[in-house]
Amino acid sequence: MSHNDHSVELRPKLVGERVKRTEDPRFLTGVGRYVDDMSPAGMLHVALRRSDQPHARIIGIDVGEAFSVPGVVAIYDASDLDKDVKPAIPTSRMPGYYATPIWPLARGKVRYVGEPVVAIVAESRYAAEDALEHINIEYEPLPFAIRQVDAVKDDAPLLHEEAGTNTIIRREFKRGDVDTAFENAPVTVKGRFRMTRKTAVAMENRSYLAEWDQRKQSLTLHTSSGSPGIIRDVLSGCLDLPGTRLRVIAPDVGGSFGAKGSLYSEEMLVCILARKLARPVKYVSDRLEDLSGTSQAFDELIEAELAVTQDGTLIGLRADVIGDVGAYSIYPWTAALETVQVVSFLPGPYRMEHYRGRIRGVLTPKPPTGPYRGVGRPSSTFAMERLIEMAARKIGMDPVEFRRRNLVRAEEFPYRTASGIIWDKSAFQECLQGACDFVDYPNLVRERDAARKAGRWVGIGLASYAELTGIGSRISVAPGMPINTGTETSRIEIDATGAITAAFGLSSHGQGLETTLAQVIVDELGCKLEDIEVKHGDSSLVPMSSGTYASRSAVLGGGAATLAARVVKAKVLRAAAYLMEQSIEDLDIYDGIIASRNSNQTLTLKEVASAVYTQMGRIPRDQREDLTASETYDPYLGTACSSTHLTMVEVDTETYGVRILRYVVAEDCGKIINPMIVDGQVHGAVAQGIGAALLEEIVHDDQGQVVTASLADYLVPVATSVPNIGIVHIEADLPNNVGGFRGMGEGGTIGAPAAVANAVSDALSHLGVSVETLPVTPERIFQMLRDTNTPRSANST
Amino acid sequence: MKPAPFDYLAAKSISEAVEALAASGGDGKIIAGGQSLMPMINFRLVKPTILVDINRIGGLDRIEKHDDRLRIGATVRHHMTATDVLVFEHLPILQDAMHHVAHLTVRNRGTFCGSVCHADPAAEMPMMTLLLNGTITAWSVRGERQIAASDFFLGSLVNALEPDEFVTSIEIDTLKPDTGWGFEEFSRRQGDFALACAATTLRIEDGVARSVRFALMGVGETPLRLAAIEEIIDGKTVSESLLDQVSEALNDFLQPNTDLHASADYRRHLAGALARRALRDAWKRADLRKGKTDD
Ligand SMILES: Cc1cc2nc3c(=O)[nH]c(=O)nc-3n(C[C@H](O)[C@H](O)[C@H](O)COP(=O)(O)OP(=O)(O)OC[C@H]3O[C@@H](n4cnc5c(N)ncnc54)[C@H](O)[C@@H]3O)c2cc1C
Repeated sequence: MSHNDHSVELRPKLVGERVKRTEDPRFLTGVGRYVDDMSPAGMLHVALRRSDQPHARIIGIDVGEAFSVPGVVAIYDASDLDKDVKPAIPTSRMPGYYATPIWPLARGKVRYVGEPVVAIVAESRYAAEDALEHINIEYEPLPFAIRQVDAVKDDAPLLHEEAGTNTIIRREFKRGDVDTAFENAPVTVKGRFRMTRKTAVAMENRSYLAEWDQRKQSLTLHTSSGSPGIIRDVLSGCLDLPGTRLRVIAPDVGGSFGAKGSLYSEEMLVCILARKLARPVKYVSDRLEDLSGTSQAFDELIEAELAVTQDGTLIGLRADVIGDVGAYSIYPWTAALETVQVVSFLPGPYRMEHYRGRIRGVLTPKPPTGPYRGVGRPSSTFAMERLIEMAARKIGMDPVEFRRRNLVRAEEFPYRTASGIIWDKSAFQECLQGACDFVDYPNLVRERDAARKAGRWVGIGLASYAELTGIGSRISVAPGMPINTGTETSRIEIDATGAITAAFGLSSHGQGLETTLAQVIVDELGCKLEDIEVKHGDSSLVPMSSGTYASRSAVLGGGAATLAARVVKAKVLRAAAYLMEQSIEDLDIYDGIIASRNSNQTLTLKEVASAVYTQMGRIPRDQREDLTASETYDPYLGTACSSTHLTMVEVDTETYGVRILRYVVAEDCGKIINPMIVDGQVHGAVAQGIGAALLEEIVHDDQGQVVTASLADYLVPVATSVPNIGIVHIEADLPNNVGGFRGMGEGGTIGAPAAVANAVSDALSHLGVSVETLPVTPERIFQMLRDTNTPRSANST
Repeated sequence: MKPAPFDYLAAKSISEAVEALAASGGDGKIIAGGQSLMPMINFRLVKPTILVDINRIGGLDRIEKHDDRLRIGATVRHHMTATDVLVFEHLPILQDAMHHVAHLTVRNRGTFCGSVCHADPAAEMPMMTLLLNGTITAWSVRGERQIAASDFFLGSLVNALEPDEFVTSIEIDTLKPDTGWGFEEFSRRQGDFALACAATTLRIEDGVARSVRFALMGVGETPLRLAAIEEIIDGKTVSESLLDQVSEALNDFLQPNTDLHASADYRRHLAGALARRALRDAWKRADLRKGKTDD
């Protein structure tokens, strides 16, 4: 193609291409650099003595011979650090809420098994752990209620006396007159759904390294965080250090799934200790600590009831939810993040007039719950989609047809749900159809029926849902929260060598943002992919950023990158117009070359940069401008990302093991930046959702001890647990934001638990049982079948 | 999750290993593949004063056939057992079993003898050793002794070795060409320890089962070789009604544990179901292999 070819629109674009991830070479060759790979000279290690009591007063701490272990440098409990730090307070404007203060070590009381109590600092982690064995903590056990149904009672022992209650979250959404609607409803179905506690199990455990610069009196924290900007902002207050003397860097981070997006006690601790001891201090969580000290997920009990007409129209929904939020309200998201979203998303992508959803979030002596891929929606979708299939079964309608009648239709957008969420426009109906077409649904039903005739327990299940992604400043990601989740900033600079730096406060910890954001910039700026260096995960790059979470980075980061790239491009073209003596309207830039419509003359980006920066006087002083821009994007509202999952499973008639035979996801994520990365996100998220459906469960026994303390007991999906996953991309009307992107990082986790639960229920339908608790383990199926068989045989005699 | 301090010796010979064990006064441990020991010392569940590494001792990394027995040396890895030609030809049931053991990385390091010594009640190799009339050869400064598999497994993770004994090899039966086998295991995920597992071998003579071996694992404190079940089957045709009898008998006398992954009742149920499947398979295979002999 000659540079005179001006069919600009026909030029190949990178957005939409399966560009190989530019971050992969370093990961695949083992030269990624994680916090644990860093060992500055003089570095000390921390090991923590954690509580073995669920709820107890700390009577005394005896360090015994701990200091005699070679290499031990210092030992601290909370009282030693009082003057070094102010607590982080996860405030919220929600009425009735109590913000539990977050300290580096337990003060006075412990509130869950695994809570850090004593920190030992030593020359090696080995020495620190040897010294731990000498520490004796005397506790006075206090009464506690480990289950949410008990903790919510008025006379339950209080975990935080200052709160005056364990129920720190109460929220209700309602529309219409739900009770009357139910009184008059021809058909109702109800269930008591339980989404048990999960944890993220990122491959890299949480790791923190703080370095104190004695000369500048400044602190650098290297953290495996998904939100370094948030951590900088909160620690600035806790440690009384201005942003200029506090830098928070998230280097390569090995996955977060939401769980590394909150502030942790250990993160505060290493900072305090590095400043106190004037030496670098590192803490790396081991897997045992990860399973008992990293934020956990879900843990809701959902009593929900759905009213429908005989012809399959939804009338109303009412639900009462108790969310077990653990011992603390997490910073900054608060305990409302997970819990409130369960009831705000419960009505799903459906048209429905009458709704009432109530949630109570209660404190229990367990690790705090926090963000986890999908937040709230895996639970709400599980409950709602079970009800949808129960209702369809009750009126004898095919569940696909039932959904088709109730999913919001194209002409009804924007649609305001019963809880007040606005679905802008998204391919709700098309996704349902897309999934069905992919598997040839009528044929799949015949296959299932044939298998059943042969005595096999085979079932089909679906789940349709929508989520709100790329949320701007109009609504806070968690209700009433004190941080800004509505904007992101991109700073793009072309330097004197013609190289382009694109800096973001976002962090990429598996999402491939270094690639996708560069793709967006290439198309906007007209440069080469390899000339762009995407920087991220560093609080010093932009004034403020809240990081990567809530399916926002492609939308907000991509939007900001687009805006900044446009400004830079305009500056490049103005400089080139002067240098080439052409009118700016006649110029364009593609692949790093600026060409004119009217001549064969071209300039490279490098030449323009050199003229601007290096060749003094080449551009007159009053016209010369740096080729830089910093732009902030605020999409204001959010955009719906929708999907339907469809799966066929088989339950072994004797062992009750569940095997997934087919799986398809049809989803609308707006304009796709990189289909390969989108596929990868879907695959990973579905695997995680299958984990939630069949395997993963954090279990605390009645004594408050966590009994799933290793990966032999907390079962994550392995390769053989995950089937081939068909993916249908539906690019319907693009959302009304810069770039037309929707967020899609979380979706798979939202749909899979519900779809699998529905399929297993379908497979077991002839036995009179259905799934109400996830994960649906062989043991649970055994118990369900036994419980229904016992009374049945009693009746027949 | 760091181990307490310990000494380490890379032994070059059996005698060096057993001398080091004896010198440690019972606080030393052999390390073979380390796939069970390392997690235990990292959790500080055990704190040996010295680890005696046997991986550099020559001659122990072999599977050999002696008459109708296979001898498996102390550093034979799971991967080798799973892919060995002698095992393929003479012990297809062991090959089946090895497919259920862990994952590739673990199989590349873990050893058959280490697994038997570890004596996990839900591990395949202890059960196979019991099923196949295994003999464990142990060395110490006092010399060599043989321990029958039936005397070896004393409890969960408890074996009959003295603290200073070193297992150099284990011998197990091969299968006769006319022997059918069945191996049925159920675990939460591929490669996990079994919730329950049944293994059986039998021959068909004059239309009835003979030379019956039957074992279970995951349903007791040790792997179980069940003579009572073998007697029920011996001399009978494996029919659905016989299988009913087997699962009823199992139901009556199994006393499995309840743990996080399975209740005692579910384990009992599973044992019955897996026993039926394994016996059906064994009968079918014996039928196909009827009349075959070594030639
Ligand atoms: C993720 C994972 C999954 C697993 N899944 C399974 C599974 O499905 N099925 C299964 O059977 N196993 C499984 N294992 C265990 C694995 O098979 C171990 O390798 C095996 O149990 C122990 O063998 P080793 O050689 O690693 O022994 P080590 O770990 O080195 O030793 C284990 C114990 O035996 C002792 N010992 C070892 N060798 C000798 C010897 N020659 N003489 C005397 N004492 C000795 C050691 O002192 C120690 O007490 C799994 C392990 C892991 C990590």
